[in-house]
Amino acid sequence: MKIRPFFLLPILLFTVGITSAREVPQANLESYQPWSENTVHSFENLLVQDGGRVKPIYSYARFTLLQFSGKSTARFASNDGEKHSLHYSEWLLDVLFRGDVAKELPIFVVDDSAVIVQIGVSPKSKRDRYSYSELAAGRAKLADLGAEYAEKQRKHQESEKDPQYELERVEGMILTLGRNISAFEYLLGQFSFARKGELLVNENILPPELLKLAATLDPIEMLDKMPEMTLGELVQVIRQPDTGDEDSRMFAGALRLFFFYANSARGLSLISPQDNEDETWISASDAMLNGLESKEIRPWATEQLKGLQSLIEASGEDEATFQKALTQFSDDQREKATPRGEGTRSHLEVQLYRGKYFMYALYAFVFAFVIMAFSWFSPGSKFGRIMLLIASLIALVGLLLDVYGITLRCIIRQRPPITNLYDTVLFITGTAVLLGLLIEYFTRLGVGTLIAIVAGVLGMFLSMKYEAKEATDTITQLVAVLDTNFWLATHVTIINIGYAAGLVATLIGMLYLAGRFFVTLAGKEAKDFFKVLTRINYGVICFCLFFSLIGTVLGGIWANYSWGRFWGWDPKENGALMICLWTLVILHGRMAGWIREIGVHMNAIVLGIIVTFSWWGVNNLGVGLHSYGFTEGVWGTLYASWVVLGVFLLMGVFSWIDERAKKSARREDSTPKEAEPTSD
Amino acid sequence: MANKKIDWSPKNWPKLLFQLFTSFKLATVVLVFMTLITLYGTLAQVELGLFAAKKLYFHSFFVIHDFWGTIPMILPGGLLLMIVLFTNMVFGAIIKSRKRWRGAGLLISHTGMLMLLASGFVTWAFASDGYMALYPGMKSDRVESYRKWQFEIVPLKDDGSAENVWILPSDELSSIRPDEKRVYQTDALPFSIVINGFSINATPVPLSAPISASAKGKEIDGFKLVPQDPAKEAAANFPGCYVEFQPKEEGAKPIEAIISAYSAGFGPGEKPMPFQFEVGGQKYGALLAKKSWKVPFEVHLDEFIFDRHPGISMARGYESKVTRLEEGKPEKAIEIKMNEPMRYEGFTFFQESFGPAGSQPGDRMYSQFAVANNPADQWPLYSLIVTSCGLGIHFLTMLVQFIVRSRKKHAPAKS
Repeated sequence: MKIRPFFLLPILLFTVGITSAREVPQANLESYQPWSENTVHSFENLLVQDGGRVKPIYSYARFTLLQFSGKSTARFASNDGEKHSLHYSEWLLDVLFRGDVAKELPIFVVDDSAVIVQIGVSPKSKRDRYSYSELAAGRAKLADLGAEYAEKQRKHQESEKDPQYELERVEGMILTLGRNISAFEYLLGQFSFARKGELLVNENILPPELLKLAATLDPIEMLDKMPEMTLGELVQVIRQPDTGDEDSRMFAGALRLFFFYANSARGLSLISPQDNEDETWISASDAMLNGLESKEIRPWATEQLKGLQSLIEASGEDEATFQKALTQFSDDQREKATPRGEGTRSHLEVQLYRGKYFMYALYAFVFAFVIMAFSWFSPGSKFGRIMLLIASLIALVGLLLDVYGITLRCIIRQRPPITNLYDTVLFITGTAVLLGLLIEYFTRLGVGTLIAIVAGVLGMFLSMKYEAKEATDTITQLVAVLDTNFWLATHVTIINIGYAAGLVATLIGMLYLAGRFFVTLAGKEAKDFFKVLTRINYGVICFCLFFSLIGTVLGGIWANYSWGRFWGWDPKENGALMICLWTLVILHGRMAGWIREIGVHMNAIVLGIIVTFSWWGVNNLGVGLHSYGFTEGVWGTLYASWVVLGVFLLMGVFSWIDERAKKSARREDSTPKEAEPTSD
Repeated sequence: MANKKIDWSPKNWPKLLFQLFTSFKLATVVLVFMTLITLYGTLAQVELGLFAAKKLYFHSFFVIHDFWGTIPMILPGGLLLMIVLFTNMVFGAIIKSRKRWRGAGLLISHTGMLMLLASGFVTWAFASDGYMALYPGMKSDRVESYRKWQFEIVPLKDDGSAENVWILPSDELSSIRPDEKRVYQTDALPFSIVINGFSINATPVPLSAPISASAKGKEIDGFKLVPQDPAKEAAANFPGCYVEFQPKEEGAKPIEAIISAYSAGFGPGEKPMPFQFEVGGQKYGALLAKKSWKVPFEVHLDEFIFDRHPGISMARGYESKVTRLEEGKPEKAIEIKMNEPMRYEGFTFFQESFGPAGSQPGDRMYSQFAVANNPADQWPLYSLIVTSCGLGIHFLTMLVQFIVRSRKKHAPAKS
């Protein structure tokens, strides 16, 4: 019976159905006016210092929206029935310059409606996205609960993870939501000082007389006229009891308002420092408070604040004016930053995210898989061979996209390919795909391409999931011990090549065991094919041993240089050691005659379990010198993957039992009837 | 097929032993157990901490491991496994293996691994490690242990200074069980020392504290010693014990005290406060102090530079500018940084950490060096070079063979 590709149709329809059935959250907006492309482009090039480095605001917007929403686009429908999908930089433009609109956008993801119920707001569905305005009614309750759970979390850390202080799932979500709302409020209130009394957030904490004062008070002008005062003195004056004197009441009120504006403007460091020796950029809040503290820097601080004010003023006019103001601001920033060597590669960072190389790599691998599937309809035929070649070439394109993205990341941060856990995903995926394609080049069996495609799909999918889950910048600054390009380029790179080879061995093992299982079930044989698979896997395991062993010893030498000991039985070191040991078990077990074909592949599956434990698991034990790679919720995924690998092991056991039964039957057939079995 | 009969007679034992220690089967079994022990030792660190888990699983001949926390099972410890593996490699991979060009890679790589195991053994047996913490302007030639404590009796002069310290070594001290009483006598001191209730981690608490009610020990001067669970980080343990100083002079009353490391301040330049008492008109001080030893030169900390990434608290780097001072030799200015230690006269000074905890930019901070003395310091590097060459040669040969064989196989089909 010929297999027709019709079985793909229901899958396609199901996928399309699921996609189209996804409801777009409703925003309480009559209509939505999108920003022009030029405005967005001008905005993207602004520089901001965040996470210890100067980066384009484009990246900052991306990870901020990911953190709030779990997605890098804000999708919603306005009341006029139109659906919108905002790019993260458009969304941040709204937050900073059209706060009233941003407050209505449903961007806060809540995975469990119990969170919403607990803060006293009416929930929508079990998992949904809410706007700031929708959550506003529960803001006070959210703050109270957030403070309570933050304290609990602190105790949990201080008590070395005492279970009584462990946060429940919903408590953790409330804490996260509270922090996200708070971060959003800081963004909304960033430029309140320049809005002439238009307060977008926290206006309820100000008494009516201050709200009235806010309409007339210009904090920048005020700064110019005020006496020198430290933050401590400012707080002291604000806290002084009311003396009944109108002037001092007015003065205290003005100071309260100044403090309110300064406090709202924290967090977004858009201003490069006055002193060229100083590396720390400042926010509008810092400019206000530093200016208040010293008359010497006041003119400079005032000038910076006026620069920001001009942006706000221009945002109220036509878009061309606003775009011009943004460009001017960006030019001013770069004029100061470039001589300091800051932001010089920000255009590459924008290119990296705009290019979506890793997403397109995933598409390429998926597409290659579909093409490859066509080759199975007629394996060995000309059509099959052409399909296989096309699939291999598309997989190569996927690999090149991955490599290009990795290279851009290397150039942006001037570091070797791997500096954090996210980088390992990209690098290991690329290495595994390359290995698969090399296997294909040498064997021309289709196996290598399949391995490359599967590794590519899984790896790229994992990278996207990881990025969305962590929702923090993946181009990170390094802790002191990692500040060495030599060891990052040698030990870290080599050990990760070892991981990749271990995972390729696992994939080959899975392919072999599944193949053997189904071939056995079908009562057929494909001995030669399986023998070649075993030889390939043996080679890959040797490759894995070579790189894991060299990488592990190099890691020891690095540890000896930085910590004073070659080996400390640290979990990460042990993970790498276990990979070396298990590959040695396979090689020696094979020489001992204990491990044959099925054994090699079953042990390759065990190797996969060890590699995933070493790669992800040990970071999450919470002990040792390498625990900086902690990832929330990774154990569930690891256990699931081990269960899947366990299923393949069971298939192996089945095939092994079947093989032994067949061998024993053959032996019985070939034994002369009169021969008696020997006894000990 | 009939099984080969094994000759178990004693005269055949050397041969059997040789066969056993040269077999791939033994290598496989040892490697499987090593993987298991590494896994269990890693997981145990979550509960026990690194130091205790390391001692239990890796520095032992045997270990009793509770499977699923309930089923106890004896497993070979890391030390035993490494000795067997070393023997197996020497006999199997070096002595027994056929010396031919094809096996050269394997022979070289196994030699490299033997060097690595040997370096591990030398480190375990002969290396010492400790730390030296200095504030800028301070100098020292004394290295302190992270974990080892000793009991010291110091005869005090009138001005409070001390000399001729009597020391109960750390190994002896730590061998005293909590329920054990040991008496020490020495001609150097006019009293005997009775130590009991020693605990590796204990806190002296006033009787007013509710926790003191549950403590079994004696009350002395309104205090009791409350034993605590050992800390996961062994360096965070503060030992304590009850001590009785029994004068040798007849009829003299014994002096009782709680001696605890908990009360001792051990910041750089800070000296622990001893318990003071008088016997026969001589003042003495008793204290628990960290074991320490001298290096043959002094290190003066000229400057400590702590650098953070802009705008965040993460350390970007830290380095110490020091001057090495040695009698009869010129002073030498050196920079010690992360990944750039100072190696001199068998000692290596690494930039380890800094303090006090929670210091802010602008605060006075001290620099801490890890000080190691390891005769096998560079052996891993040499072994890496040898092993890499060996494995490289072997796998390259295999790859070439594989490709040639694959090409040959495909060739007739094409024709």
